[in-house]
Amino acid sequence: MHEFPVVQLGPLNIDISTVIALFVSVVITMLVARLAVRNLSVTNPGKMQNFLEWVVEFVHGVIASAMPLNRVKPFLSLGLTLIMFIFISNLLGLPFGITFEAHHVNEALGITQELLDEHHGEAHVSFWKSPTADLSVTAGLALIVFVIVHYLGLKQNRKHYLKHYFHPFPIFLPVNIIETISKPVTLALRLFANIYAGEVLISTILMLKWVGIPFLAAWQGFSLFVGGIQAFLFTILTMVYISQAAIHDEADEHH
Amino acid sequence: MSLSWESTVIAIISFLILYWFLNKYAFGPLFGVMEKRRQLVLEQMNTADSSRKAAEQQMEEQKAALQQARKEAYEIIEQARTTSSKQADEIVQTAKSEASRLKDDALKDIESEKNKAIAALRSEVGGISVKIASKIIEKQVDEKAQEQLVDQYLKEVGNK
Repeated sequence: MHEFPVVQLGPLNIDISTVIALFVSVVITMLVARLAVRNLSVTNPGKMQNFLEWVVEFVHGVIASAMPLNRVKPFLSLGLTLIMFIFISNLLGLPFGITFEAHHVNEALGITQELLDEHHGEAHVSFWKSPTADLSVTAGLALIVFVIVHYLGLKQNRKHYLKHYFHPFPIFLPVNIIETISKPVTLALRLFANIYAGEVLISTILMLKWVGIPFLAAWQGFSLFVGGIQAFLFTILTMVYISQAAIHDEADEHH
Repeated sequence: MSLSWESTVIAIISFLILYWFLNKYAFGPLFGVMEKRRQLVLEQMNTADSSRKAAEQQMEEQKAALQQARKEAYEIIEQARTTSSKQADEIVQTAKSEASRLKDDALKDIESEKNKAIAALRSEVGGISVKIASKIIEKQVDEKAQEQLVDQYLKEVGNK
């Protein structure tokens, strides 16, 4: 498999491919959004504006399926940022890869002697991947969600939020804590695993050389689909978690 | 795959930057425009609703006016009919009374003419009879007696 270059920056180990990937997907997301809102019009929206408005409506629908309609507004931006960023990130690793065959020790790119020894003097170093194919990145996203969920839970819905840890009996506290921790962990792992598996399979198919082209086409199409699904899932799960923690409705009183 | 907390931190920072940027420069204006459009549509719907209501009301008014006009026309016709029939009755009545009056007048005239004729006849007959009588008397009465008779007649006339 490919190795990813890690640079030592003082005490920090910076994974260059992750930084590049994050930078690129952030910039692409910004560009897409900015292009879409370039010529805003109330009565005569352009194609891009229509598209982004469709995305907004879609995310609005997604959030509204998780919480009461009147609470959707504050989370709309978050949901949109999540779904756009994750979707673009997921697609980033699909079209091509930048891979170097390194035969020499290059400490600046994190190619150490051990690495070369491990791969028999020929390390494949990749600079290109989906940022979401890196567990650290998805963990970062899940951490953001975790913080938002529990901050909102404590701030807006303190009584019920705290009570839910002792629900239905105080003895369930450990179970509830495990549940609380498992939520962001599964969030991060699910996204990472799906995208990472996709990319692993792509590089595996690439080893087939010419024979692999139809498989590659099929798998890239499927990865497109998986990328969309995972972005959607991450967003809706975030909203569901927020809804569970922060929003207590009279309708839920009987639970 | 190893977890590196540096990547996590970088990811969090870049996500926050992205969120801030999108919120400020993309979604904010877009939401504003969408909200504006919502307002516009709402406004237009309200306008359409109110104009529809106004149209309905006008239609109702028109219908009422038409009904009123129809009723009035009917009344006018009815009135004309009653007036005309009354007038006809009146005319017939007048004609009848006129005719009867004329007939009465004629009868009266006939009566009076008859009476006049009878009176004339009577006086004629009286005169004739007097003449006849005087003719008869002429032969028997002398001058003196006749004078006496005339005097007596005159006296009688003066007494009357």
